[in-house]
Amino acid sequence: MKLHLNAARACRGDWSLAAHATFCEGVHLVSGDVGSGKSTLALMMAGLLSPTGGSIVRDGISSTMISLQFPEYHVTGATVAEECRSWGLDSDPILSEINLRNKRDAAPLTLSRGELKRLHLACALAKNYDLLLLDEPFSSLDAREKERLCEIMSQRTGGITIIFTHEQTTFPRVDHIWEIQQGMLIDRGEMPDALTRWEHAPALIKKIISSGKSLKNISPLDLQEAVCRT
Amino acid sequence: MIELSGLRYRNIGIDSLMIPPGITSVIGPNGSGKTTLLRLCSGIAEPEAGVILIDGKTPRETDVGWVNEFPDKNILFSRVSDEIASALRFSHHPCMEIDSAVNTIAQLMNITHLLDRTMRELSGGEKVLVALAAALVQQPKILVLDEYDSHLDEMRCFQIEHVIQTCAVPYVIRCTQQMDTAARGDYLLFLENGRITLSGSPERVFTSLSQTPFYPLSWRCKV
Repeated sequence: MKLHLNAARACRGDWSLAAHATFCEGVHLVSGDVGSGKSTLALMMAGLLSPTGGSIVRDGISSTMISLQFPEYHVTGATVAEECRSWGLDSDPILSEINLRNKRDAAPLTLSRGELKRLHLACALAKNYDLLLLDEPFSSLDAREKERLCEIMSQRTGGITIIFTHEQTTFPRVDHIWEIQQGMLIDRGEMPDALTRWEHAPALIKKIISSGKSLKNISPLDLQEAVCRT
Repeated sequence: MIELSGLRYRNIGIDSLMIPPGITSVIGPNGSGKTTLLRLCSGIAEPEAGVILIDGKTPRETDVGWVNEFPDKNILFSRVSDEIASALRFSHHPCMEIDSAVNTIAQLMNITHLLDRTMRELSGGEKVLVALAAALVQQPKILVLDEYDSHLDEMRCFQIEHVIQTCAVPYVIRCTQQMDTAARGDYLLFLENGRITLSGSPERVFTSLSQTPFYPLSWRCKV
């Protein structure tokens, strides 16, 4: 299972993004500044936006899901329970898992933004998509939910998971790091070697590395272990 | 001071709370009522009982800058420069003054390159920057920010904190899920099920949260 970007390009006025890369199975992290093109790249990978040049080939990928940055764009059900069923899922176990059973009859858009994001991600992650594209999955989630989401992502076996984010603190364990810089998708390589090349690394990760501690991965546990190690 | 007393609205119940001038962060689990509290402080919602007074005046008698958690919901105009100018135009300021104020805030926020773009083609983070410029352009007495940082990268967050300091807004109330951001504020409120369970300096509040995921990771990982 592979996702090939063959000199894929997106152009809008004088803004452009170019990507030539292959994504293999595992968890990938794509970081980049505001407006650098993270969401555009995610939409192209999902097949919702045609590249203006080059091509995108989904090799051996039979199912794709993109989780958009704003969860309200995903809502199709009139109630929270209906929203779960619209994904082809049984609502009871999902709503128990995310602690929203008491809101099963509420309209999804009356939930708080964090609750709506939690509902949407629980549905998207309950299905085992070959290619799962997550655009800012951590935005609006509280600290406890971020940790829970990271755990679920780390348990995902097989498939290609690509996380587009500027989250600063809570990450799952990842296999590969990419960055968008000056309109180009740049491969920073596999973990842990990618860490020293990661220019958008959050301040805390940079600080741990520059203090000479060896960091294996970027989950909160990895950071704490690295700091404690003498 | 911002004074909340006998406040009741939906799930919010706050008997008495004084918020000092400066940057106040509101944190808490999803669904605890952070957005509702912010809507009350900005005058968008009115309490069912009790009052909020900002230096003796209600939020609706005060100049308020508001940035919505869904940036798309804030947008009134299609062109970025019109969007930023909207508050000043609605209050009939002279055109020359408005143009100058829009340019000044756009320069300060480093978004002059967006002024001629349409709102529709902006990224999520860029929309937040424009919403913030539109809120700051009228030099509000209180700036209310609902999770603006969930769409922004670290560099932009620092830049915005600098802009807020430069604009010298007397009161900033923001809710955030970035505990390191909350740790940089002057005052911190922890909200759970509509009740303020902890309030005080970030050091004091986070000390009580040290065994929870809400404790800032950078404090846990001191290097």
